Amino acid sequence: MNLTEAKKMKSRSELSRGRKGDRSRSMLSMSEKIGVAVRYTVLVLISLAMAFPFYWMVTSGLKTNDEIWQFPPTFFPENIHWNNYADAWNAAPFARYMFNSIFVAVSICVIQVINGSMMAYALTHMKFRLKNPFTAMVLIGYMIPSTAVYLPSYMILNNLHLLDSYAGLIISNCVSVFSIFLLRQAFMQVSHELVEAGQLDGASHFRILWTIMSPLIRSSFAVMILITFIDQYNNYFWPMLITKDPDLRLVSAGLRGFFVEGGAYGLAWPQIMAASAFTIAPLLILFVFAQKTIMQSVNMSAGVNKN
Amino acid sequence: MRLKALREGEAVLFTLPALVPLMLFWFGPLGYIVYLSFTEWDFMSPEKLFVGLENYTYLLTHADFYQALKVTLLFGFGTVVPIIVGGLALALLMNSKLRSTGLFRAMMFSPWVTPTVAVSIVWSWIFEPDVGLANLVLGWVGISPVGWLQDSTWALVAVMIVTVWKSIGWSMVFYLVALRNLPQDLMEAASIDGAGAWDKFRGITLPLISPTTLFLSIILTIQSLQAYDQINVMTQGGPAGSTRTLLYMYYQSAFESFNVGEASAIAVIIILICVLLSGVSFLLSRRLVHYS
Repeated sequence: MNLTEAKKMKSRSELSRGRKGDRSRSMLSMSEKIGVAVRYTVLVLISLAMAFPFYWMVTSGLKTNDEIWQFPPTFFPENIHWNNYADAWNAAPFARYMFNSIFVAVSICVIQVINGSMMAYALTHMKFRLKNPFTAMVLIGYMIPSTAVYLPSYMILNNLHLLDSYAGLIISNCVSVFSIFLLRQAFMQVSHELVEAGQLDGASHFRILWTIMSPLIRSSFAVMILITFIDQYNNYFWPMLITKDPDLRLVSAGLRGFFVEGGAYGLAWPQIMAASAFTIAPLLILFVFAQKTIMQSVNMSAGVNKN
Repeated sequence: MRLKALREGEAVLFTLPALVPLMLFWFGPLGYIVYLSFTEWDFMSPEKLFVGLENYTYLLTHADFYQALKVTLLFGFGTVVPIIVGGLALALLMNSKLRSTGLFRAMMFSPWVTPTVAVSIVWSWIFEPDVGLANLVLGWVGISPVGWLQDSTWALVAVMIVTVWKSIGWSMVFYLVALRNLPQDLMEAASIDGAGAWDKFRGITLPLISPTTLFLSIILTIQSLQAYDQINVMTQGGPAGSTRTLLYMYYQSAFESFNVGEASAIAVIIILICVLLSGVSFLLSRRLVHYS
């Protein structure tokens, strides 16, 4: 045990002695130490179990087809076959699928930042007669399951001749009640005096929104953009419904197509695992770098419910 | 007067970029689907035939619907309860006196950011009946292997496991925030009064975090009603309809059987369930929940 740890232990046992009166000091710190050790062990085991499917995916993707069908399975591949990854990547146009996913997700993020903040700004810092009905509408929208209206949305998109197009993929997802909520929450924290000051200087609402207010709620934008990006990159059901052209598949639909073909031949599990791995990889990398911001979304969406 | 009208106009202009798509892909379809549920149509015929309540009476007199309703309820309870209870348990485990839990938190949260389709494929391999990991683990504790996705009693359990695995870390982070916001002086006062850990948990923690619990219950229930990706990848509603939820039935009757009227009626029922749940949760939040 090093010095700082010893100090910590000491001050902690002093603290508990002070709280619990005359009980023996060594007994308490001993049982406390055991408690902490047990908790850590449990946490380590659960964390490993939670992350294990990812490990299993990556290593299964490195095995030969013979090895993957062994029982009991090997927990580390006997020979590492990186070429499974290359084979999978070349077996279907995954580069195209990933481009589609990223392009569509980024476009949606940009549009949602614009229309979401304009709507949220109007609902919080502008006066107009329809303000309350609009707010109520957004609140109700949050409780309606969007998947339930996919059928009529599909028919509307068909009438607009937007099926099977990037435009359809982007426009049909270009508004999110969640994003409006999140931004509304952020704008409510900003003092209305700023708007009034801006107006006295002769600035339009448009300028006030983009040059004065927006910089103040940067962190909400970051959360909103990350969550929207993750949702849209992962999106499967709706994009799959409205596109039949294989060139327009997002990455989830592409992977699922590859899985069905691989499953039909019943041969290519290592390649399927490899393909799943590189589909998931961009998101896990994003998560590693933006962990704090992504988990912050929890704080903010919990706030969403209170209003 | 003119100025006021101008100001109104400007505000409406600000709402339009969001309002138009919101009407087109959200509230418009909502009204449209109610209308469609009173008709019979197959995407092809030029006319939609008005049939009144026929789609509803058909559904309510057929066993398929009740089977799907049962699966929906089972799936709802079997995912929402473990995600909430498990998330709270993990948060409690992590909250007290432990240092450097950041890595654990990240590992438990990470499934939430990954695409459901990809992780469902990975789990399909884990649930492979002959050489899969799931049966190996069952073997370690002395349980004989099961057919998982090919077995009508186990398929739903497998889909639930994936769903819980994906969201439990997410709910844990919600509870970590809620636990951090608990008033420490209240906890210490209770300790001085001689309250044990369990008393403090029941008397202070649980009531004070009830807004989080209520919020999670409603959001997770709405999510469970919309679960599609994992069912589509792992079981496609089978075997023998054992994983066909109302939403999956809706999808199949709309886009596989082209039965627009029946599909719309199912969708309306799903929406009504959501509205009902939201109403109940709103009332509960007024009466039971303690907002600090």
